[in-house]
Amino acid sequence: MNGFLVENGGMQCSIQDAGRRGLSDIGLTQSGAMDEMAFGYANFLVGNAFNTPSIEIAMGGASFKARSEMCIAICGANMQPTCNGHKIALWQTYPLRRGDVIAFGFASEGQFAYIAVAGGFQTPFSYGSYSTSIKEGLGGVEGRKLKAGDFLQTLDARCPVDRRKLERKFIPKYPDSITVRLVKGYQEAMFDASSQETFFNSVYTFRGEGDRMGYRFSGEKVVPLASGILSEPICYGAVQVPSHGEPIVLLKERQTIGGYPKIGSVIAVDCFKLAQLKVGGNVKFKEVSLKEAQRATRAFYTFFKEQEA
Amino acid sequence: MKRRYSIASESSVIVYFGTTIDPAISQEVQKAYHALKAKDQEGFYEIIPSYASLMVSYDVMRLSFDDVCEIIEKSIEGEKALILSESKIITIPVYYGREVGLDLELLAQEKNLSVEEIIVLHVNEIYTVYAIGFAPGFAYLGEIDARLATSRLASPRKVVPKGSVAIADRQSAVYPSQSPGGWKVLGRTPTAMFDATYEGLSLLHVGDRVRYESISKEEFLKLGGQL
Repeated sequence: MNGFLVENGGMQCSIQDAGRRGLSDIGLTQSGAMDEMAFGYANFLVGNAFNTPSIEIAMGGASFKARSEMCIAICGANMQPTCNGHKIALWQTYPLRRGDVIAFGFASEGQFAYIAVAGGFQTPFSYGSYSTSIKEGLGGVEGRKLKAGDFLQTLDARCPVDRRKLERKFIPKYPDSITVRLVKGYQEAMFDASSQETFFNSVYTFRGEGDRMGYRFSGEKVVPLASGILSEPICYGAVQVPSHGEPIVLLKERQTIGGYPKIGSVIAVDCFKLAQLKVGGNVKFKEVSLKEAQRATRAFYTFFKEQEA
Repeated sequence: MKRRYSIASESSVIVYFGTTIDPAISQEVQKAYHALKAKDQEGFYEIIPSYASLMVSYDVMRLSFDDVCEIIEKSIEGEKALILSESKIITIPVYYGREVGLDLELLAQEKNLSVEEIIVLHVNEIYTVYAIGFAPGFAYLGEIDARLATSRLASPRKVVPKGSVAIADRQSAVYPSQSPGGWKVLGRTPTAMFDATYEGLSLLHVGDRVRYESISKEEFLKLGGQL
């Protein structure tokens, strides 16, 4: 059978697509690729549609063996991938022969890398998506992270004839200091002028408190006018501030409802960058208008839509 | 209160119908939720109801913030005449034995009631599903009798068994799967709350009416309950 054998599951590898839709009303999290940009490029490079299931590698340390010929691309965090011990490049298509071993070290920059395979990994479609929700034990391979011995079936699909390589100007960087754009909303009125000034003018540090659900940042405290609100729906990128005063940005595997005040939401395309921030990395929040935020989101998805056409 | 529309993110709108847990406000949310689900609007990715608010996440490639507010407002206005049909009552069988009702004794002491009185107060109510969240199929049911109103455990349990029927504040819920949790556990149901074979996947949906029914240990085991 064509496929990829997991030799070492590393810290946390899971099957992800762009996430689940339409089931948050019964409590299922969205899940999906933490960085849709690297995920999208990986699929583009092997000729797949944008929303094709890939392997998400968090932090690194994983290895895989090709059990058949196939075509892959690795995008995202640089975990110094090797093929049979020889260094291989990210951001391009790469043909594999039967028996080739792809191994990853640990990320020198960024947090998440994606392996796309031409034709996609043939894991079960579950609750409207291929994505794994590790917290809920749903989707992917038995709802869990990948482990040694898992076999991921692939199709007999070849590399696109044009052997793609992403132009340097498109390759994202994962610096230690980033600025993310945010649209104000939700309970912004519960953050008075001085706390908003603090929030938008401070540098916040990611100390590693977080996972696929969301990241907590330390820095200048922001104190909302009340410590709790009546539980309400939470969207992607929502920035909630519990009474400890440190902002938490909610990401792909967030809870569907919650009761902490929120100042607004980091825009989707910047959540992808934020997800790649390493422990010790810094973030600044910058307010943008709804119009500008929507323009950025449209540009992102239009780009990938056009690649599919 | 007039409905208030707010930005949640660049692709989500949240509508506030009020700010408190109130059956009348919850009804407004439920009506809007059902109207929007029935409309099946293209470009609406998520329609999530909660106690007094409802959020719609939408496709920014097709819809603007104003479009979405208008679609929601029109659907609500169009459904104003709609009276939520007295939906049938879903019965959840519960075994209130001491080996599964982990906090029955504690609550009895706290409330100065007998265990039997607690059970009667818990089964005598007809509840409404106000919200679903925390975990797939975890339904927040309101409201429990004021005499049972209780705080959460001082230190949450690392493991609450699947099917545990619990209360906190004026609410009750069933843990759909094993998870950590701080609600006080009164009993256990053999009924699955979340199952891939259910139409709609979750046994309960926002707006459903629910009652608990006390069953014996034998019935609990016969229905597939696990001790």
